[in-house]
Amino acid sequence: MSEVLTASGVAVRFGGATIVQGASLSLRAGELVALVGPNGAGKTTLMRALAGLVPAEGAITLGGKPLATLKPRDRARHIAYLPQGHIFHWPMPIADIVMLGRAPHADSFSATTPEDRAAVERALTTTETLTFAGRAVTTLSGGEKARVALARALATQAPVLLADEPTAALDPRHQLVVMELLRNAARGGNAILAILHDLTLAARFADRVLIMDRGRIVADGSPDESLGADRLAAVFGIEAVTVLVGGKPVPIAGRALQDLP
Amino acid sequence: MRSSRINLILAALIVVLAVLSLMVGPAGLSPRAAVAGLISGEGPAGVIVRDIRLPRTLLAGLIGATLGLSGAALQGLLRNPLAEPALFGAPQAAAAAAALVIAFGFAPVTSFAVPIAGILGATISIAGLVAIAGRRASLTVTLLAGLALASFAGAVTALILNLAPNPFIALEIAFWLLGSLEDRSADHLIIAAPFMIASWILLAANARAFRALTLGEDAAASLGVDVARTRMLVVIGVALGVGAAVAVAGAVGFVGLVAPHLVRRAVGSDPARVLLPATLAGAGLVLAADVAIRLGPSVVEIKLGVVTALIGVPVFLAIIFRERRLLEGASS
Repeated sequence: MSEVLTASGVAVRFGGATIVQGASLSLRAGELVALVGPNGAGKTTLMRALAGLVPAEGAITLGGKPLATLKPRDRARHIAYLPQGHIFHWPMPIADIVMLGRAPHADSFSATTPEDRAAVERALTTTETLTFAGRAVTTLSGGEKARVALARALATQAPVLLADEPTAALDPRHQLVVMELLRNAARGGNAILAILHDLTLAARFADRVLIMDRGRIVADGSPDESLGADRLAAVFGIEAVTVLVGGKPVPIAGRALQDLP
Repeated sequence: MRSSRINLILAALIVVLAVLSLMVGPAGLSPRAAVAGLISGEGPAGVIVRDIRLPRTLLAGLIGATLGLSGAALQGLLRNPLAEPALFGAPQAAAAAAALVIAFGFAPVTSFAVPIAGILGATISIAGLVAIAGRRASLTVTLLAGLALASFAGAVTALILNLAPNPFIALEIAFWLLGSLEDRSADHLIIAAPFMIASWILLAANARAFRALTLGEDAAASLGVDVARTRMLVVIGVALGVGAAVAVAGAVGFVGLVAPHLVRRAVGSDPARVLLPATLAGAGLVLAADVAIRLGPSVVEIKLGVVTALIGVPVFLAIIFRERRLLEGASS
């Protein structure tokens, strides 16, 4: 498997504060990787650095080339980024919003191509948002907005997808739908990094789980390796209970420990 | 498709208003006489239409278009339906510089020194804004710096009025600040037009960036938009265009705020699709206001800025009232 996106010794500082330090990881084609960690661990900042949106020390490469040397449009064709929060400032129709995902492929004078329309329709279908494609995005519920935002990121059809909390605000069924969708996209050859707060989803769907704590990556391995009870106690301050889902052991948060170690 | 029809309707409206604008004045002309005078340039009608009214008509259209486009571009950049050119201090700085020239430069209100000073004033204020906000300027810093510069320019204007050598000059400045196209000549047009057209190019070039910015700055950047560059180009474009407009005509308020709202209902909220119709609506608004002024009783000419504000504000309030829910949705 080829390494699509790699980071080595990445540090991000804002003002005097170091948000991320010494972060090294690699993302391969065909892989769904979950990035988990407590609030404020630096997950979003690391992801923004990987997307080329914040200046970072250390080396980040895309397909072997330093990320910083790529033109913004080239980078945008290769890395799709789904930010947290699902922001839509104007009440535009959903189909137009998702079409924005095609912006990196458009040149200044061309109208939308059949490929653009096909990519948009596919993204709308897989996120189950096709039925309200004509509605204004501001009329949607939080979970519906989240799926439209994901559809926009998927429409780019970039080999790398960086998704910051793609399952936040989703109902249980749609959490599963989205995780299946991400796993299928990975099976199709994409490299996907998703920030998750639900350890159960991470354990069930991810090929690999990265754990961040206080700006550092403290674990990088299979769900079983990364999500051991001792580590969950140390990093999250929880006593995890393991349950079997479809024959697979997955952790759920059983009890909050009084003192964070 | 729908928006191209709106654009055609607005363009037709502008042509009608432009012909009206050539007809009305102390010597009323029939539409045929106005058009004949415009084409032939002969006889009294030719002189009136070509030398006196045409520059005024063209200036009204260009200034309105510039203000409408500036408003739409700023609303797109800031993702905020309340954005307007005065936010960045450019019109205030242009007004202050022009007032300075009128007060102490011994230049009459209608000389070229005034527009040149106005454009310089706007450029200096924007250069200051860029310097204060820095290259990676955040929106908040840019807006705060713009607000501070606008207040400072307002204070400079007040100081000039305060220190004016005699009350007549103070009165002249005060009237000039109200905005007018009276007695503007082809020379004013030649000075201001290049700046306005340059501003149109700068602003229109960012249409796709405005559309992507509906997703916020991070998502837009991830789609390949250079957000800092877009911000800089828009700020400079607005400064050039609005600076030139204010420099020639004084303060013509509310067009930049109202024009995008007028068309948004018809063409939708897509900030890229709003640009052209907002430009046309702005041109139509200022042309209409300037025609209305000349149709009124002619003892004292009501100033253009007064009319645009008097018409613009109630229209704006009506739109806000009608679209409260849409606006609430947009700001969330």
